[in-house]
Amino acid sequence: MMETREWALVTYTILSQMAVGSFLVLGAVHFLAQRKAGEAEADRLSDRALLAIGPVLVLGVLASLLHLGNPANAYRAIANIGSSWLSREIFFTMAFTGVGFVFAIMQWRKLATPAIRNAVAVLAALIGVVAVYSMSHIYMLANQPTWNSAATPLSFFCTTLLLGSLAIGVALSANYTYLKSRKSAALDVQANLLRDALRWIAVAAIVVLGFELVVISASLIDFGSGDAAASLVNIAEDYNTLFILRISLVFLGAGVFAFFLYRTASVLGQERVLFALVYGAFALVLIAEVMGRYLFYASHIKIGF
Amino acid sequence: MAKQLAFHFNSSLCNGCKACVIACKSKNALPVDVNYRRVYEYGGGGWVADPMAPAFLTPNNIFVYSLSVACMHCENPACVDVCPAKAIEKRDDGIVVVDSDKCIGCHYCSWACPYGAPQFDPEEGTMRKCDMCADVVDEGGTPYCVSACPMRALDFGELEELRAKYGTVAEVAPLPPADITNPAFVLTPHRHSQPVGSKVGRVYDDEV
Ligand code: SF4
Ligand code: SF4
Repeated sequence: MMETREWALVTYTILSQMAVGSFLVLGAVHFLAQRKAGEAEADRLSDRALLAIGPVLVLGVLASLLHLGNPANAYRAIANIGSSWLSREIFFTMAFTGVGFVFAIMQWRKLATPAIRNAVAVLAALIGVVAVYSMSHIYMLANQPTWNSAATPLSFFCTTLLLGSLAIGVALSANYTYLKSRKSAALDVQANLLRDALRWIAVAAIVVLGFELVVISASLIDFGSGDAAASLVNIAEDYNTLFILRISLVFLGAGVFAFFLYRTASVLGQERVLFALVYGAFALVLIAEVMGRYLFYASHIKIGF
Repeated sequence: MAKQLAFHFNSSLCNGCKACVIACKSKNALPVDVNYRRVYEYGGGGWVADPMAPAFLTPNNIFVYSLSVACMHCENPACVDVCPAKAIEKRDDGIVVVDSDKCIGCHYCSWACPYGAPQFDPEEGTMRKCDMCADVVDEGGTPYCVSACPMRALDFGELEELRAKYGTVAEVAPLPPADITNPAFVLTPHRHSQPVGSKVGRVYDDEV
Protein backbone atom coordinates (compact mmCIF):
# COMPACT_ATOMS: atom_id res chain seq x y z
CA MET A 1 0.00 0.00 0.00
CA MET A 2 1.07 3.54 -0.51
CA GLU A 3 2.02 6.04 2.13
CA THR A 4 1.19 9.70 2.65
CA ARG A 5 4.19 10.55 0.52
CA GLU A 6 2.77 8.90 -2.58
CA TRP A 7 -0.66 10.35 -1.93
CA ALA A 8 0.97 13.74 -1.82
CA LEU A 9 2.44 13.04 -5.26
CA VAL A 10 -0.90 11.80 -6.64
CA THR A 11 -2.59 14.97 -5.35
CA TYR A 12 0.14 17.26 -6.60
CA THR A 13 0.47 15.80 -10.10
CA ILE A 14 -3.30 15.61 -10.64
CA LEU A 15 -3.96 19.16 -9.39
CA SER A 16 -1.11 20.80 -11.26
CA GLN A 17 -2.01 18.99 -14.49
CA MET A 18 -5.63 20.01 -14.03
CA ALA A 19 -4.53 23.62 -13.55
CA VAL A 20 -2.43 23.61 -16.72
CA GLY A 21 -5.20 21.88 -18.69
CA SER A 22 -7.81 24.33 -17.42
CA PHE A 23 -5.64 27.23 -18.48
CA LEU A 24 -5.23 25.80 -21.99
CA VAL A 25 -8.92 24.98 -22.42
CA LEU A 26 -10.06 28.30 -20.99
CA GLY A 27 -7.75 30.06 -23.41
CA ALA A 28 -9.36 28.23 -26.34
CA VAL A 29 -12.87 28.93 -25.01
CA HIS A 30 -12.10 32.62 -24.57
CA PHE A 31 -10.57 32.86 -28.02
CA LEU A 32 -13.63 31.35 -29.70
CA ALA A 33 -16.09 33.33 -27.57
CA GLN A 34 -14.23 36.55 -28.38
CA ARG A 35 -14.60 35.95 -32.10
CA LYS A 36 -18.25 35.15 -31.74
CA ALA A 37 -19.51 37.68 -29.23
CA GLY A 38 -16.73 40.19 -28.66
CA GLU A 39 -14.25 40.89 -25.91
CA ALA A 40 -16.68 41.96 -23.17
CA GLU A 41 -18.94 38.92 -23.38
CA ALA A 42 -15.96 36.57 -23.65
CA ASP A 43 -14.48 38.08 -20.49
CA ARG A 44 -17.80 37.76 -18.74
CA LEU A 45 -17.86 34.10 -19.67
CA SER A 46 -14.34 33.22 -18.57
CA ASP A 47 -12.88 35.68 -16.03
CA ARG A 48 -14.23 33.97 -12.91
CA ALA A 49 -13.12 30.57 -14.16
CA LEU A 50 -9.63 31.99 -14.64
CA LEU A 51 -9.47 33.06 -11.00
CA ALA A 52 -10.51 29.57 -9.88
CA ILE A 53 -7.31 28.07 -11.35
CA GLY A 54 -5.09 29.85 -8.79
CA PRO A 55 -6.34 28.03 -5.69
CA VAL A 56 -6.09 24.66 -7.49
CA LEU A 57 -2.40 25.32 -8.18
CA VAL A 58 -1.71 26.54 -4.66
CA LEU A 59 -3.35 23.44 -3.22
CA GLY A 60 -1.21 21.27 -5.50
CA VAL A 61 2.01 22.99 -4.49
CA LEU A 62 1.14 22.61 -0.80
CA ALA A 63 0.55 18.89 -1.39
CA SER A 64 3.93 18.61 -3.11
CA LEU A 65 5.69 19.97 -0.04
CA LEU A 66 4.16 17.11 1.97
CA HIS A 67 6.28 14.57 0.14
CA LEU A 68 9.53 16.26 1.12
CA GLY A 69 11.33 14.94 4.16
CA ASN A 70 13.08 18.25 4.66
CA PRO A 71 10.85 21.08 3.35
CA ALA A 72 13.11 23.66 5.02
CA ASN A 73 15.58 23.05 2.17
CA ALA A 74 12.89 23.25 -0.53
CA TYR A 75 14.40 26.46 -1.88
CA ARG A 76 17.31 24.32 -3.15
CA ALA A 77 15.02 22.28 -5.39
CA ILE A 78 15.93 24.08 -8.62
CA ALA A 79 19.69 23.97 -8.00
CA ASN A 80 20.25 21.17 -10.52
CA ILE A 81 18.22 22.50 -13.44
CA GLY A 82 21.07 21.52 -15.78
CA SER A 83 20.50 17.78 -15.33
CA SER A 84 17.52 17.02 -13.06
CA TRP A 85 14.03 16.84 -14.55
CA LEU A 86 12.68 17.39 -11.04
CA SER A 87 14.45 20.76 -10.87
CA ARG A 88 13.14 21.60 -14.33
CA GLU A 89 9.60 20.62 -13.42
CA ILE A 90 9.66 22.77 -10.30
CA PHE A 91 11.15 25.68 -12.21
CA PHE A 92 8.52 25.56 -14.98
CA THR A 93 5.65 25.03 -12.55
CA MET A 94 6.78 28.11 -10.64
CA ALA A 95 7.13 30.06 -13.88
CA PHE A 96 3.65 28.94 -14.98
CA THR A 97 2.24 30.05 -11.63
CA GLY A 98 4.04 33.39 -11.85
CA VAL A 99 3.15 34.26 -15.45
CA GLY A 100 -0.35 32.87 -14.98
CA PHE A 101 -0.77 35.09 -11.92
CA VAL A 102 0.40 38.16 -13.81
CA PHE A 103 -2.01 37.32 -16.61
CA ALA A 104 -4.90 36.85 -14.17
CA ILE A 105 -4.25 40.27 -12.62
CA MET A 106 -4.01 41.91 -16.05
CA GLN A 107 -7.17 40.23 -17.23
CA TRP A 108 -9.10 41.00 -14.04
CA ARG A 109 -8.16 44.67 -13.98
CA LYS A 110 -8.11 44.93 -17.77
CA LEU A 111 -4.53 46.19 -17.84
CA ALA A 112 -2.79 46.70 -21.20
CA THR A 113 -4.48 45.83 -24.49
CA PRO A 114 -6.28 42.55 -25.20
CA ALA A 115 -3.50 41.70 -27.65
CA ILE A 116 -0.81 42.06 -24.99
CA ARG A 117 -2.93 40.06 -22.54
CA ASN A 118 -3.32 37.33 -25.13
CA ALA A 119 0.43 37.23 -25.63
CA VAL A 120 0.99 36.82 -21.88
CA ALA A 121 -1.65 34.06 -21.79
CA VAL A 122 0.00 32.19 -24.67
CA LEU A 123 3.35 32.43 -22.89
CA ALA A 124 1.87 31.04 -19.66
CA ALA A 125 0.19 28.22 -21.61
CA LEU A 126 3.45 27.24 -23.31
CA ILE A 127 5.29 27.23 -19.98
CA GLY A 128 2.49 25.08 -18.54
CA VAL A 129 2.94 22.52 -21.33
CA VAL A 130 6.69 22.42 -20.69
CA ALA A 131 5.98 21.94 -16.96
CA VAL A 132 3.79 18.87 -17.62
CA TYR A 133 6.37 17.54 -20.08
CA SER A 134 9.12 17.95 -17.47
CA MET A 135 6.94 16.31 -14.83
CA SER A 136 6.53 13.25 -17.02
CA HIS A 137 10.27 13.05 -17.65
CA ILE A 138 10.94 12.76 -13.91
CA TYR A 139 9.72 9.18 -14.20
CA MET A 140 11.62 8.22 -17.33
CA LEU A 141 14.54 6.56 -15.56
CA ALA A 142 16.61 3.73 -17.03
CA ASN A 143 15.95 1.46 -14.03
CA GLN A 144 12.16 2.04 -14.03
CA PRO A 145 10.86 0.07 -17.03
CA THR A 146 7.19 0.64 -16.21
CA TRP A 147 7.62 4.39 -16.20
CA ASN A 148 10.30 4.70 -18.85
CA SER A 149 8.06 4.80 -21.92
CA ALA A 150 6.23 7.29 -24.11
CA ALA A 151 3.06 6.26 -22.28
CA THR A 152 4.11 8.40 -19.31
CA PRO A 153 4.12 11.80 -21.05
CA LEU A 154 1.16 10.80 -23.24
CA SER A 155 -1.00 9.78 -20.30
CA PHE A 156 0.03 12.87 -18.31
CA PHE A 157 -1.15 15.03 -21.19
CA CYS A 158 -4.39 13.04 -21.46
CA THR A 159 -5.04 13.73 -17.77
CA THR A 160 -4.16 17.38 -18.33
CA LEU A 161 -6.64 17.82 -21.17
CA LEU A 162 -9.42 15.62 -19.78
CA LEU A 163 -9.48 17.19 -16.35
CA GLY A 164 -8.77 20.63 -17.77
CA SER A 165 -11.71 20.58 -20.17
CA LEU A 166 -14.22 19.15 -17.73
CA ALA A 167 -13.05 21.44 -14.89
CA ILE A 168 -13.61 24.41 -17.18
CA GLY A 169 -17.04 23.01 -18.05
CA VAL A 170 -17.83 23.02 -14.33
CA ALA A 171 -16.39 26.49 -13.78
CA LEU A 172 -18.30 28.01 -16.72
CA SER A 173 -21.53 26.42 -15.52
CA ALA A 174 -21.00 27.71 -12.00
CA ASN A 175 -20.25 31.16 -13.42
CA TYR A 176 -23.51 31.08 -15.38
CA THR A 177 -25.48 30.09 -12.29
CA TYR A 178 -23.84 33.01 -10.48
CA LEU A 179 -24.64 35.52 -13.23
CA LYS A 180 -28.22 34.30 -13.21
CA SER A 181 -28.52 34.63 -9.44
CA ARG A 182 -27.51 38.26 -9.70
CA LYS A 183 -30.27 38.77 -12.27
CA SER A 184 -27.94 41.13 -14.09
CA ALA A 185 -28.31 42.08 -17.73
CA ALA A 186 -29.81 39.80 -20.33
CA LEU A 187 -28.14 36.41 -20.32
CA ASP A 188 -29.05 35.19 -23.78
CA VAL A 189 -25.58 35.74 -25.19
CA GLN A 190 -23.97 34.06 -22.19
CA ALA A 191 -26.35 31.13 -22.41
CA ASN A 192 -25.44 30.60 -26.04
CA LEU A 193 -21.72 30.92 -25.42
CA LEU A 194 -21.96 28.48 -22.54
CA ARG A 195 -23.81 25.89 -24.59
CA ASP A 196 -21.29 26.24 -27.38
CA ALA A 197 -18.40 25.86 -24.98
CA LEU A 198 -19.95 22.80 -23.36
CA ARG A 199 -20.47 21.19 -26.74
CA TRP A 200 -16.82 21.67 -27.62
CA ILE A 201 -15.76 20.46 -24.20
CA ALA A 202 -17.84 17.31 -24.67
CA VAL A 203 -16.22 16.66 -28.05
CA ALA A 204 -12.74 17.29 -26.62
CA ALA A 205 -13.39 14.92 -23.72
CA ILE A 206 -14.54 12.14 -26.06
CA VAL A 207 -11.54 12.57 -28.37
CA VAL A 208 -9.03 12.60 -25.49
CA LEU A 209 -10.76 9.61 -23.91
CA GLY A 210 -10.28 7.65 -27.12
CA PHE A 211 -6.63 8.58 -27.17
CA GLU A 212 -6.17 7.71 -23.50
CA LEU A 213 -7.71 4.27 -24.02
CA VAL A 214 -5.29 3.66 -26.90
CA VAL A 215 -2.33 4.74 -24.73
CA ILE A 216 -3.44 2.48 -21.87
CA SER A 217 -3.89 -0.54 -24.14
CA ALA A 218 -0.56 0.08 -25.88
CA SER A 219 1.27 0.34 -22.55
CA LEU A 220 -0.30 -2.90 -21.32
CA ILE A 221 0.90 -4.69 -24.45
CA ASP A 222 4.33 -3.13 -23.93
CA PHE A 223 4.41 -4.27 -20.27
CA GLY A 224 3.62 -7.78 -21.43
CA SER A 225 6.76 -7.98 -23.52
CA GLY A 226 9.74 -6.41 -21.85
CA ASP A 227 11.18 -5.99 -18.37
CA ALA A 228 7.96 -4.38 -17.29
CA ALA A 229 6.05 -7.67 -17.47
CA ALA A 230 6.18 -7.92 -13.68
CA SER A 231 4.23 -4.70 -13.51
CA LEU A 232 1.46 -6.23 -15.58
CA VAL A 233 1.37 -9.18 -13.19
CA ASN A 234 1.14 -6.65 -10.36
CA ILE A 235 -1.83 -4.95 -11.94
CA ALA A 236 -3.49 -8.24 -12.83
CA GLU A 237 -3.06 -9.78 -9.39
CA ASP A 238 -3.31 -6.97 -6.90
CA TYR A 239 -5.08 -4.15 -8.62
CA ASN A 240 -7.39 -5.66 -11.21
CA THR A 241 -10.58 -4.35 -9.57
CA LEU A 242 -9.14 -0.87 -9.29
CA PHE A 243 -7.89 -0.99 -12.86
CA ILE A 244 -11.25 -2.07 -14.27
CA LEU A 245 -13.06 0.51 -12.13
CA ARG A 246 -10.69 3.21 -13.35
CA ILE A 247 -11.32 2.35 -17.00
CA SER A 248 -15.08 2.11 -16.48
CA LEU A 249 -15.33 5.44 -14.67
CA VAL A 250 -13.32 7.38 -17.22
CA PHE A 251 -15.39 5.79 -19.98
CA LEU A 252 -18.62 6.67 -18.18
CA GLY A 253 -17.53 10.25 -17.47
CA ALA A 254 -15.68 11.27 -20.62
CA GLY A 255 -17.64 8.96 -22.93
CA VAL A 256 -21.25 8.40 -21.87
CA PHE A 257 -21.79 11.58 -19.85
CA ALA A 258 -19.93 13.65 -22.43
CA PHE A 259 -22.08 12.22 -25.21
CA PHE A 260 -25.29 13.26 -23.42
CA LEU A 261 -23.68 16.56 -22.54
CA TYR A 262 -23.16 17.23 -26.23
CA ARG A 263 -26.74 16.24 -27.04
CA THR A 264 -28.25 18.29 -24.23
CA ALA A 265 -26.12 21.35 -24.96
CA SER A 266 -27.30 21.30 -28.57
CA VAL A 267 -30.88 22.17 -27.65
CA LEU A 268 -32.19 25.18 -25.77
CA GLY A 269 -33.20 24.98 -22.12
CA GLN A 270 -32.72 21.92 -19.91
CA GLU A 271 -30.14 23.73 -17.81
CA ARG A 272 -30.56 21.48 -14.78
CA VAL A 273 -29.86 18.34 -16.81
CA LEU A 274 -26.96 20.07 -18.54
CA PHE A 275 -25.29 21.08 -15.31
CA ALA A 276 -25.88 17.69 -13.73
CA LEU A 277 -24.10 16.13 -16.70
CA VAL A 278 -21.13 18.52 -16.50
CA TYR A 279 -20.66 18.10 -12.77
CA GLY A 280 -21.17 14.35 -13.03
CA ALA A 281 -18.68 13.94 -15.88
CA PHE A 282 -16.07 15.99 -14.02
CA ALA A 283 -16.52 14.03 -10.79
CA LEU A 284 -16.29 10.66 -12.55
CA VAL A 285 -13.22 11.59 -14.57
CA LEU A 286 -11.51 13.11 -11.54
CA ILE A 287 -12.01 9.91 -9.53
CA ALA A 288 -10.87 7.81 -12.50
CA GLU A 289 -7.72 9.86 -13.04
CA VAL A 290 -6.84 9.77 -9.34
CA MET A 291 -7.19 5.97 -9.46
CA GLY A 292 -5.06 5.88 -12.61
CA ARG A 293 -2.33 7.94 -10.97
CA TYR A 294 -2.50 5.79 -7.87
CA LEU A 295 -1.94 2.71 -10.04
CA PHE A 296 0.95 4.49 -11.77
CA TYR A 297 2.77 4.78 -8.45
CA ALA A 298 1.59 1.55 -6.85
CA SER A 299 2.21 -0.93 -9.66
CA HIS A 300 5.55 0.21 -11.04
CA ILE A 301 8.53 -2.09 -10.79
CA LYS A 302 12.18 -1.33 -10.56
CA ILE A 303 15.24 -3.07 -11.99
CA GLY A 304 17.63 -3.98 -9.18
CA PHE A 305 16.81 -3.12 -5.60
CA MET B 1 42.22 8.16 -15.83
CA ALA B 2 40.71 9.76 -12.79
CA LYS B 3 41.00 8.00 -9.51
CA GLN B 4 38.05 5.75 -8.72
CA LEU B 5 37.81 3.84 -5.46
CA ALA B 6 35.72 0.68 -5.65
CA PHE B 7 34.51 -2.40 -3.78
CA HIS B 8 35.26 -5.98 -4.69
CA PHE B 9 32.93 -8.73 -3.52
CA ASN B 10 33.60 -12.45 -3.74
CA SER B 11 30.26 -14.22 -3.90
CA SER B 12 31.86 -17.67 -3.80
CA LEU B 13 33.34 -16.92 -0.37
CA CYS B 14 30.36 -15.15 1.20
CA ASN B 15 28.38 -17.29 3.64
CA GLY B 16 25.64 -14.72 4.18
CA CYS B 17 26.53 -14.00 7.81
CA LYS B 18 25.83 -10.24 7.47
CA ALA B 19 28.82 -9.17 9.60
CA CYS B 20 29.40 -6.43 6.98
CA VAL B 21 25.84 -5.15 7.48
CA ILE B 22 26.28 -5.01 11.25
CA ALA B 23 29.73 -3.38 11.09
CA CYS B 24 28.32 -0.69 8.78
CA LYS B 25 25.28 -0.27 10.94
CA SER B 26 27.30 0.37 14.08
CA LYS B 27 29.92 2.55 12.38
CA ASN B 28 27.23 4.83 10.98
CA ALA B 29 24.76 4.50 13.90
CA LEU B 30 21.97 3.67 11.45
CA PRO B 31 18.32 3.58 12.47
CA VAL B 32 16.34 0.33 12.31
CA ASP B 33 15.18 0.46 8.69
CA VAL B 34 18.27 2.06 7.18
CA ASN B 35 21.00 -0.27 5.91
CA TYR B 36 23.72 1.15 3.71
CA ARG B 37 24.96 -2.37 3.09
CA ARG B 38 22.56 -5.26 2.62
CA VAL B 39 23.10 -8.97 1.96
CA TYR B 40 20.65 -10.54 -0.47
CA GLU B 41 20.27 -14.29 -0.56
CA TYR B 42 19.30 -15.36 -4.07
CA GLY B 43 18.20 -18.90 -4.74
CA GLY B 44 15.96 -21.22 -6.69
CA GLY B 45 15.52 -24.72 -7.99
CA GLY B 46 12.71 -27.16 -8.49
CA TRP B 47 11.53 -30.72 -8.22
CA VAL B 48 11.69 -33.49 -10.80
CA ALA B 49 10.18 -36.95 -10.89
CA ASP B 50 12.63 -39.62 -9.78
CA PRO B 51 13.38 -41.72 -12.92
CA MET B 52 13.39 -44.92 -10.82
CA ALA B 53 10.06 -44.15 -9.15
CA PRO B 54 8.10 -41.46 -11.01
CA ALA B 55 5.68 -40.99 -8.14
CA PHE B 56 8.50 -39.50 -6.06
CA LEU B 57 9.85 -36.01 -6.57
CA THR B 58 13.48 -35.19 -5.96
CA PRO B 59 15.07 -31.75 -5.69
CA ASN B 60 16.69 -30.53 -8.87
CA ASN B 61 19.01 -27.63 -9.75
CA ILE B 62 18.85 -26.21 -6.23
CA PHE B 63 21.12 -23.22 -5.84
CA VAL B 64 21.60 -20.33 -3.47
CA TYR B 65 24.20 -17.60 -3.15
CA SER B 66 24.55 -14.28 -1.38
CA LEU B 67 25.40 -10.82 -2.60
CA SER B 68 26.58 -8.03 -0.33
CA VAL B 69 25.38 -4.78 -1.87
CA ALA B 70 26.04 -1.16 -0.93
CA CYS B 71 26.45 2.02 -2.93
CA MET B 72 28.54 1.20 -5.99
CA HIS B 73 30.03 4.73 -6.22
CA CYS B 74 29.13 4.53 -9.90
CA GLU B 75 31.16 6.10 -12.67
CA ASN B 76 27.87 7.27 -14.12
CA PRO B 77 25.88 7.94 -10.94
CA ALA B 78 22.16 8.31 -11.67
CA CYS B 79 21.66 9.73 -8.16
CA VAL B 80 23.95 12.70 -8.86
CA ASP B 81 22.22 13.43 -12.17
CA VAL B 82 18.69 13.46 -10.77
CA CYS B 83 19.16 15.11 -7.37
CA PRO B 84 17.39 18.46 -7.75
CA ALA B 85 19.26 20.03 -4.83
CA LYS B 86 22.79 19.11 -5.93
CA ALA B 87 23.05 17.37 -2.58
CA ILE B 88 24.95 14.36 -3.98
CA GLU B 89 28.48 14.78 -5.15
CA LYS B 90 31.18 12.59 -6.62
CA ARG B 91 34.49 13.29 -4.95
CA ASP B 92 37.81 13.34 -6.80
CA ASP B 93 38.56 9.85 -5.51
CA GLY B 94 35.27 8.58 -6.99
CA ILE B 95 33.37 8.24 -3.70
CA VAL B 96 29.78 9.44 -4.03
CA VAL B 97 28.55 11.29 -0.93
CA VAL B 98 25.25 12.86 0.15
CA ASP B 99 25.35 16.21 1.91
CA SER B 100 22.35 16.04 4.22
CA ASP B 101 22.51 19.78 4.84
CA LYS B 102 21.52 20.27 1.21
CA CYS B 103 19.07 17.35 0.83
CA ILE B 104 15.38 18.24 0.58
CA GLY B 105 14.24 14.66 1.20
CA CYS B 106 12.44 14.26 -2.14
CA HIS B 107 13.42 10.56 -2.53
CA TYR B 108 14.24 11.07 -6.21
CA CYS B 109 17.73 9.56 -5.87
CA SER B 110 16.23 6.38 -4.42
CA TRP B 111 13.93 6.04 -7.46
CA ALA B 112 16.84 6.45 -9.85
CA CYS B 113 19.48 4.28 -8.14
CA PRO B 114 19.30 0.65 -9.30
CA TYR B 115 21.21 -0.57 -6.21
CA GLY B 116 18.84 0.63 -3.46
CA ALA B 117 21.71 2.64 -2.02
CA PRO B 118 20.15 5.98 -0.96
CA GLN B 119 17.86 5.36 1.98
CA PHE B 120 15.54 7.71 3.77
CA ASP B 121 16.23 8.49 7.41
CA PRO B 122 12.82 9.35 8.86
CA GLU B 123 14.40 11.02 11.90
CA GLU B 124 16.47 13.43 9.83
CA GLY B 125 14.04 13.71 6.93
CA THR B 126 16.96 13.32 4.55
CA MET B 127 18.66 10.64 2.48
CA ARG B 128 21.63 8.73 3.75
CA LYS B 129 23.95 6.45 1.89
CA CYS B 130 27.20 4.52 2.06
CA ASP B 131 30.16 6.90 1.77
CA MET B 132 32.74 4.09 1.72
CA CYS B 133 33.69 5.21 5.24
CA ALA B 134 35.23 8.32 3.63
CA ASP B 135 36.48 9.60 7.00
CA VAL B 136 38.39 6.36 7.59
CA VAL B 137 39.59 6.12 3.97
CA ASP B 138 40.88 9.71 4.11
CA GLU B 139 43.10 8.62 7.01
CA GLY B 140 44.43 5.72 4.95
CA GLY B 141 42.15 3.13 6.59
CA THR B 142 39.80 0.45 5.29
CA PRO B 143 35.97 0.61 5.18
CA TYR B 144 34.42 -1.15 8.19
CA CYS B 145 32.50 -3.73 6.13
CA VAL B 146 35.72 -4.88 4.46
CA SER B 147 37.53 -5.24 7.80
CA ALA B 148 34.59 -7.03 9.41
CA CYS B 149 34.08 -9.83 6.89
CA PRO B 150 35.21 -13.13 8.47
CA MET B 151 35.41 -14.80 5.02
CA ARG B 152 37.50 -12.01 3.48
CA ALA B 153 34.82 -11.76 0.79
CA LEU B 154 35.03 -7.96 0.59
CA ASP B 155 37.89 -5.85 -0.64
CA PHE B 156 38.29 -2.27 -1.66
CA GLY B 157 40.81 -0.19 -3.60
CA GLU B 158 41.47 1.46 -6.91
CA LEU B 159 38.96 0.20 -9.52
CA GLU B 160 41.58 -0.51 -12.19
CA GLU B 161 43.74 -2.44 -9.71
CA LEU B 162 40.77 -4.47 -8.50
CA ARG B 163 39.85 -5.28 -12.09
CA ALA B 164 43.41 -6.37 -12.84
CA LYS B 165 43.31 -8.63 -9.81
CA TYR B 166 39.76 -10.03 -9.93
CA GLY B 167 38.38 -9.49 -13.44
CA THR B 168 35.67 -7.26 -14.81
CA VAL B 169 32.39 -8.96 -13.88
CA ALA B 170 29.99 -6.50 -12.25
CA GLU B 171 26.59 -8.13 -12.73
CA VAL B 172 24.76 -11.37 -11.98
CA ALA B 173 21.12 -11.95 -11.03
CA PRO B 174 19.52 -10.22 -9.14
CA LEU B 175 21.82 -7.20 -9.64
CA PRO B 176 20.76 -4.69 -12.30
CA PRO B 177 22.65 -4.61 -15.62
CA ALA B 178 25.91 -2.74 -15.09
CA ASP B 179 25.43 -0.48 -18.10
CA ILE B 180 22.76 1.59 -16.33
CA THR B 181 25.24 3.38 -14.03
CA ASN B 182 28.69 1.74 -14.56
CA PRO B 183 29.20 0.68 -10.94
CA ALA B 184 32.69 0.91 -9.45
CA PHE B 185 32.35 -2.72 -8.49
CA VAL B 186 34.18 -5.94 -9.19
CA LEU B 187 32.42 -9.23 -8.58
CA THR B 188 33.83 -12.71 -8.26
CA PRO B 189 30.73 -14.75 -9.05
CA HIS B 190 29.55 -17.82 -7.17
CA ARG B 191 29.73 -21.04 -9.21
CA HIS B 192 25.93 -21.14 -9.24
CA SER B 193 25.54 -17.53 -10.32
CA GLN B 194 22.67 -16.91 -12.70
CA PRO B 195 23.07 -14.40 -15.55
CA VAL B 196 21.86 -10.86 -14.99
CA GLY B 197 18.15 -10.53 -15.77
CA SER B 198 17.53 -14.22 -15.08
CA LYS B 199 14.20 -14.97 -13.43
CA VAL B 200 14.92 -18.53 -12.34
CA GLY B 201 15.54 -17.64 -8.72
CA ARG B 202 14.25 -15.15 -6.22
CA VAL B 203 15.55 -13.08 -3.33
CA TYR B 204 14.79 -14.91 -0.10
CA ASP B 205 15.54 -12.29 2.52
CA ASP B 206 14.67 -8.95 1.05
CA GLU B 207 13.79 -7.46 4.43
CA VAL B 208 17.47 -6.69 4.93
S1 SF4 C 1 24.90 2.90 -6.40
FE1 SF4 C 1 23.18 4.30 -6.55
S2 SF4 C 1 23.59 5.83 -4.97
FE2 SF4 C 1 25.53 4.77 -5.34
S3 SF4 C 1 26.55 6.04 -6.90
FE3 SF4 C 1 25.43 4.41 -7.98
S4 SF4 C 1 23.48 5.39 -8.51
FE4 SF4 C 1 24.40 6.66 -6.90
S1 SF4 D 1 16.35 12.88 -1.43
FE1 SF4 D 1 17.97 14.40 -1.08
S2 SF4 D 1 19.80 13.50 -1.97
FE2 SF4 D 1 18.06 12.36 -2.80
S3 SF4 D 1 17.52 13.39 -4.73
FE3 SF4 D 1 16.25 14.34 -3.14
S4 SF4 D 1 17.43 16.09 -2.44
FE4 SF4 D 1 18.87 14.78 -3.57
